Amino acid sequence: MIPADEFPGAWEAGVGNYLERQFAGDLAHQLELYCAGLDGLEAEANARFNEHFARLKSSQQNAIIESVESGEVISSWKVDPRQFFKLLVETAAEGYYSDPEQGGNFDAVSWTMTGFSECGPV
Amino acid sequence: MDHDRVFRVRAGMKDFDAVIVGSGAGGGIVACVLAEAGKHVLVLERGRALSFADVGRDHLRNQRLSIYGHNAGPDLDGNPRVFVDPLGKSRIVKPHELDYHNNAACVGGGTRVYGAQAWRFPPDDFRMASKYGVPGGSSLADWPISYEDLEPFYERAEWELGAAGDGSALQELIPRKRNYPLPPVASSPQTDALKKGAQILGWRVGPVPLLINTVPYNNRAACAGCKYCVGFACPTDAKNGTQNTVIPRALATGNCELEVDAIVEKIDTDSRGNVIGITYISATQRRVARSKVVIISGGAIESARLLLNSHSSHHLAGLGNDHDQVGRNLQGHLYPRAYGLMSSSVFNGIGPGVSIATTQFNHDNDGVIGGGMLADDFIKPPIDFWYDSLPPDLPRWGLLNKQFMKANYTRVLHVRGPVQDIPKPDGRVTVDPSVKDRWGIPVARLSGTTHAETVKAAEFMRVRGEEWLRASGCESVWSARPDLMLSGRQHQAGTCRMGHDPKSSVTDQWGRVHNLDNLFVVDGSLHVTNGGFNPVLTIMALAYRCADHIAKNID
Repeated sequence: MIPADEFPGAWEAGVGNYLERQFAGDLAHQLELYCAGLDGLEAEANARFNEHFARLKSSQQNAIIESVESGEVISSWKVDPRQFFKLLVETAAEGYYSDPEQGGNFDAVSWTMTGFSECGPV
Repeated sequence: MDHDRVFRVRAGMKDFDAVIVGSGAGGGIVACVLAEAGKHVLVLERGRALSFADVGRDHLRNQRLSIYGHNAGPDLDGNPRVFVDPLGKSRIVKPHELDYHNNAACVGGGTRVYGAQAWRFPPDDFRMASKYGVPGGSSLADWPISYEDLEPFYERAEWELGAAGDGSALQELIPRKRNYPLPPVASSPQTDALKKGAQILGWRVGPVPLLINTVPYNNRAACAGCKYCVGFACPTDAKNGTQNTVIPRALATGNCELEVDAIVEKIDTDSRGNVIGITYISATQRRVARSKVVIISGGAIESARLLLNSHSSHHLAGLGNDHDQVGRNLQGHLYPRAYGLMSSSVFNGIGPGVSIATTQFNHDNDGVIGGGMLADDFIKPPIDFWYDSLPPDLPRWGLLNKQFMKANYTRVLHVRGPVQDIPKPDGRVTVDPSVKDRWGIPVARLSGTTHAETVKAAEFMRVRGEEWLRASGCESVWSARPDLMLSGRQHQAGTCRMGHDPKSSVTDQWGRVHNLDNLFVVDGSLHVTNGGFNPVLTIMALAYRCADHIAKNID
């Protein structure tokens, strides 16, 4: 979702931590959708490349994400892939760009990256 | 004249001269004026007094971005509303959802967490029907008062609460007799870029007036330039709401009692249908307060709901609702917006961020009824920027998205502003027949929209926004076409409009409910139309005008 460059990617910046908190709280009702979506990614990887999603090359992973975004999946999904995609992309951004008190955005790294905290009083 | 009637005191029936329901922009000012005039006042606020820490700095739960909650009330549970979409499908909504059309519920109301733009409505905003005619299906009407009637009270609000601006700017549209008490906010690189663009286009611009202490005022500090203004509380208490200005003054007189967590259930009437006070719920106890006058200042949605819920054998359809007018003409503002990419940073990290506006298009636009103001924007937290401001053709994920955030958060210029809503009677608040809040009181049901002419004006302003950004040096610009929708939210207005004719309005020009001696509405509900500007200073000016009248007429 948010890959590493000179700034950390989503996972290294604490988005996983953010998701854990959210799915135990405000997003508890969406946990099922999220997990079914992750199963869907795995099924899609298996159907297309006969491999686990995590072991795919990033270009292959991206191709799968694109098809999930547009809803054009070839495996059978228990949930609407577009609904899952929306949740996936928005929660990743929330964990990466919102305040560190939410559990993600370690050391306010995305604020350094964007320049939000560059100058002026916070 | 009907509006000169004096309220009659009904001996032995009252504990207070006045009960005021709500402590926001309207109620806070009425409380201060009455208390300082020596009247004994009870203010009932359904929310609580919120400290800076209570409001907090949660980027996902604030009045501007309320994905999972918000920070200024009401509580997410126990306070539902019902929203009816344009296809007629209804659903229960919670306070942080957009379709709830929330304003804050706390001491100070919306002014606790607002952006504090302090606009006067220009003279033509008070005579929209005369100026433009009434489009078919709309309830567009003139106000029963003019800009000249309200001008002294605008000035009073600016000076008593503390407004910052440049009195010589924008005079052409909005004449004024006296300057602002405080100098305008400082320019930033974004101000300078937009000023240059406006010069090229020949548009008039000026500093955005704000109810913010740009220098110390009223014994409180100046703005520290933090990045959390609209949607949050101020760390130096430099943002002037009613909670830190007129309400403390009211309490200091010793004449005013403020009760928080107080849910007003009903306006009470006697066996002849006359208003005698209110019934409210405080700490699960049902209580009664008796008063000479009752003033409803709960905001356009809650004020209408309370009047409708206060039905009795004398007022079968609710108080003030003999002609089925209460709750109609609900409006707020559509907010056309445009974004553009500059070649270098225009961000200096110093809030509030909003600084420059054009009033070139508030009136006299070809083929459009009314128009609106455009200004730059408050500083947006990055997650708000991610949700709100990215180009529509940018991928929502992956390296391209991240690189855009990295390179362009400080380079995107934004302009936005409210356009005149053209009201329709079917944009309205009613009371839901089955859904009740946690106290068992029927909740507000919101339905309808404003008139399609509103969208024409919003689209016109969107295109002006793009034009301004291009002239200001943006390499690329983007925006979204506006849709017709109910637009109440923080600018909610119109549901108890003032007027001379009881058949087409709810109150007279003093906020007194037609055919009742001692029941008043004082908040945005009174607005006949809601201007092409942020409405709060008009709510405040009207509150001063109505409060003076009420104070003079309480025996």
